Amino acid sequence: MKKKLLSALLATAMTAALLAGCGSSESATAEGGEAQTEGASEGASSEGAASEAGENKLTVYAWDANFNIPALQAAADDYKANVDSEFELEIIEQSQSSDIENAITLAGSAGDYSTLPDIVLFQDHWFHKYQKDYPDAFVPVDDAEVDWNDFGAEKLSYSVVDGTPYGFPVDNGTVIFAYRVDLLEECGYTIDDMTGISWADFIKIGEEVYNKTGKYLLCMDGDGNDLIYMMLQAEGESQFKDGKPYITENGTLVEIIGVIEEMLDKNVLYLTNDWSGYTNQAILGDMVAGVMNGNWIIPTISQVEENSGKWEITSLPTLNGGEGYASNGGSSLYITANCKNVDLAKKFLSYTFGGSAATYDAALTNGGVITCCVSAGQSDVYNQGVAYFNDQPIYAKIVEMGANVPIVEQSDYHYTCRTQIAAAVINIHNGADTMTALQEAEDQLNFEMGN
Amino acid sequence: MTKTKRTNGSAIQKRLIPSYIFLSIVSFISVFPFYWMITAATNTTVEVARGKITFGSHALENFRNLTAGQDLWGSLGNSFKYSIAQTIVALFICSLAGYGFELYHDKYKDRVFSILLLAMMVPQVATMIPLFRMMSKMKLLNTVWAFMLPAISTPFLIMMFRQNSRNFPVDILEAARIDGLNEFKIFFKMYMPVMKSTYAAAAVITFMNAWNSYMWPKVVMTDNRAQTMPMLIANVANGYTIDYGLLMTGVLFCSVPTMIVFFVLQKQFAEGITGSVK
Amino acid sequence: MNRKKKEMNITAKQQAAGWAFLTPATLLLVIMSFYPIIQAFIMALKTGSSANMQWCEPITYNFTRMFSDKLFMRSVVNTFLYLLIEVPIMLVLAILLAQLLNNKDLKFKGFFRTCVFLPCATSLVSYALIFKSLFATEGLINSILVKVGILSENFNFLGTTYTAKAIIIIALIWRWTGYNMVFFLAGLQNIEYSVYEAAKIDGASGWKTFWHITVPLLKPTIVMTMIMSINGTLQLFDESVNLTKGGPANSTITMSHYIYNSSFGEGTTNFGYAAAMSFFIFILVAVLAFINMKVGDTRD
Repeated sequence: MKKKLLSALLATAMTAALLAGCGSSESATAEGGEAQTEGASEGASSEGAASEAGENKLTVYAWDANFNIPALQAAADDYKANVDSEFELEIIEQSQSSDIENAITLAGSAGDYSTLPDIVLFQDHWFHKYQKDYPDAFVPVDDAEVDWNDFGAEKLSYSVVDGTPYGFPVDNGTVIFAYRVDLLEECGYTIDDMTGISWADFIKIGEEVYNKTGKYLLCMDGDGNDLIYMMLQAEGESQFKDGKPYITENGTLVEIIGVIEEMLDKNVLYLTNDWSGYTNQAILGDMVAGVMNGNWIIPTISQVEENSGKWEITSLPTLNGGEGYASNGGSSLYITANCKNVDLAKKFLSYTFGGSAATYDAALTNGGVITCCVSAGQSDVYNQGVAYFNDQPIYAKIVEMGANVPIVEQSDYHYTCRTQIAAAVINIHNGADTMTALQEAEDQLNFEMGN
Repeated sequence: MTKTKRTNGSAIQKRLIPSYIFLSIVSFISVFPFYWMITAATNTTVEVARGKITFGSHALENFRNLTAGQDLWGSLGNSFKYSIAQTIVALFICSLAGYGFELYHDKYKDRVFSILLLAMMVPQVATMIPLFRMMSKMKLLNTVWAFMLPAISTPFLIMMFRQNSRNFPVDILEAARIDGLNEFKIFFKMYMPVMKSTYAAAAVITFMNAWNSYMWPKVVMTDNRAQTMPMLIANVANGYTIDYGLLMTGVLFCSVPTMIVFFVLQKQFAEGITGSVK
Repeated sequence: MNRKKKEMNITAKQQAAGWAFLTPATLLLVIMSFYPIIQAFIMALKTGSSANMQWCEPITYNFTRMFSDKLFMRSVVNTFLYLLIEVPIMLVLAILLAQLLNNKDLKFKGFFRTCVFLPCATSLVSYALIFKSLFATEGLINSILVKVGILSENFNFLGTTYTAKAIIIIALIWRWTGYNMVFFLAGLQNIEYSVYEAAKIDGASGWKTFWHITVPLLKPTIVMTMIMSINGTLQLFDESVNLTKGGPANSTITMSHYIYNSSFGEGTTNFGYAAAMSFFIFILVAVLAFINMKVGDTRD
């Protein structure tokens, strides 16, 4: 009997040994000959090890290989060429911004930030909430050598918490309204006719364009509510007032919803189901004569080669006429609590994204990333005409428009609110009563905010 | 089984025509999306967006762009390593348990078994945070352990091995015991070879699950060097601008290995699921 | 029966060996599933940011909250709708296909079986992408339907509540029927041919044979696939996220999707609440599986 029990124990031990053997050889190969066979027991995740390893090395989380990552690469090259030839930046690509938000959340809930890289790229609208929820996750950068006044005030407001700057702005979310000037011309309009007009006039022109060319003058993703937020900001209004949802009592918002419903009914606005429908079906599918969104939409527009030279950009229409300015999307770089070499990170970020023309020029050329740093936006590269946009110097124009974006009240529930309002718009379009649908959105938002 | 009924083969085939038609339609519906995926990988993103479903000439370009922007070979390598490791370990542990539960079953073990079945019903989202904390505390992030530990002991596999063990001839077991083989030698020398088609079926299912898993690896594999294929696809599929031709090339590379595994083990898979014992 | 009696005689030491066999798997499940779910339960009693969670006031706050959450209730209704429509259609279709493929006179069996199984080899991301573009307003299905004359103009399938739900169901059926079919095929192949012969001699019709012989013999398989499908559908996540993002206007969102949004997706990192809702699913699944097992129990 004892013998059998012994053999049973032996077998269990064998199992364990087999497991261990299999596993360690696996992790050894996984780590790719980096002599990290003991990776597991050594007690450091690879980033942790990495940030300890080199005195000149930094790691960063970022997303979008066509946009942010070339900008970071440009900054790394700039710093390497002009400041420190030993410098090395390891960019760890994430599939989307929420991956980085999740990484902070997970690290925060584990109470251990050592899984984070030195620097993270973070969505502007989320930063305040995450800074509040995980106050230990980010390092303030008030002592960095940067002329903060050189940046657009609206952009900067996202990364400054109670007067303390935390982040280095990367891109510029300034909204552009791009029009197909060839189609406008067919209907007898120019880009100047579209500048500073009211939404009512816009609808008239839009109807004409649709009837003549079969193309929509505006399109949007029905899942988010970029459109409403942008239109509201152009009026200098917010979806929030004193920290509370400001929806049903917000006359401007109600009026904007009315404009949107009218545009939908008159085939001026095309609403897609989701983001890929917006980019692929509407824009790449050549269904539209106008696109209004953050300027990061430009690379998408430019993918349709046969329309080169037919686009131009301008500012937004407003309810009562006059040029409207807004900002949508965009992100900044933040130093995390896990950064072992905060001085280097600060130096690197202030030198490059703090206003280096070399960084910003390369970021623009390689990734289409437009700065919100006013002085960097005056370089030659920025003042060149862009062939796709009929040789209009669009980048200088965007930087200039960016300085005019009004600051509106923000909230930790920014995106929740946008989703709820987007749902209301769809419900109204499907026949629900405007005020009932908006009330429903407000109720759900209040519920989620715990009000 | 019986070869006697050869009499009116053509009449039987005629009667089966509706079956053939139905099966052909179902097969077409099942296979068409794959065809679409392959054509999309040969077209530009604008062509894909406009619904082109014939082959184009951009396959090479898509492939080049994909490898330029993403570490395709590294991710493929990782996916293979993790999935194979998970498959081997899971098969071993679950077959041990299935064998134990069936051939040594008594009312206590049956009770344990039904409690274990409860684990199948635990939603993944609920355990993600506690599991991440655990992995982080044990410093296992970015290792194959973090990838596979939550998935190597699954109620489903245990159940499958248990059910198929019912067909394991008990006479062999008795004979082996009389010959003086101990319980573990019986498992390794008798059970494992006899059950090889069950292992094959379990391998196909485990490998596919491991290969396609996304949410959990995304959470624990924070390092670029540990990226897997589904993570690579997600990187390509999200962003301000999506290149569909390139994306479908990635999807193709992600789908082919699981299909190969299935094709290679197909026969054993079918036998293994039936629980037939050779 | 015979075997059971023999097992009664197995000595205690063999029983001990039996325990050794199941220890690794049991331990792993305890550590990787049961321990986390207990932690999740504790979390469900707390509220606040995950770095600094406080006990709820009152302690059941998260549990009572979900019943006044209209969006969560909608997700429950949606999930059950998918469950009630998708699972029966899929299982019946799977049995039918298995029955057809089990005909010994059928040619190209291997080919058909492979084709039908192929969909479950695709990763979730890719199959969602494929379905989305097939059913897009300008997509292939629309152009076919317009050409055939069923539709007069392109229809926005994924943007309309009812059709979006239907597409989720179609996608689920597409992806999982083959998978379930394999289990039924396996079950059918275990049924001795002589049983059918005997039925034929007794003069039973095809339908009667199927209903009175095949179905009872397939019962264990049906119970197993049913539990797996119910479990999978109640935890449905990827399809809702990737196909419709829960839209239009949250009308297709599932429970798991809403839970994910409450913990990660939309920045409302309300882990306590998310954990409470997960518990709700856990209990639902357990209850349904229990009923299922009781109804289909063949062992005693």
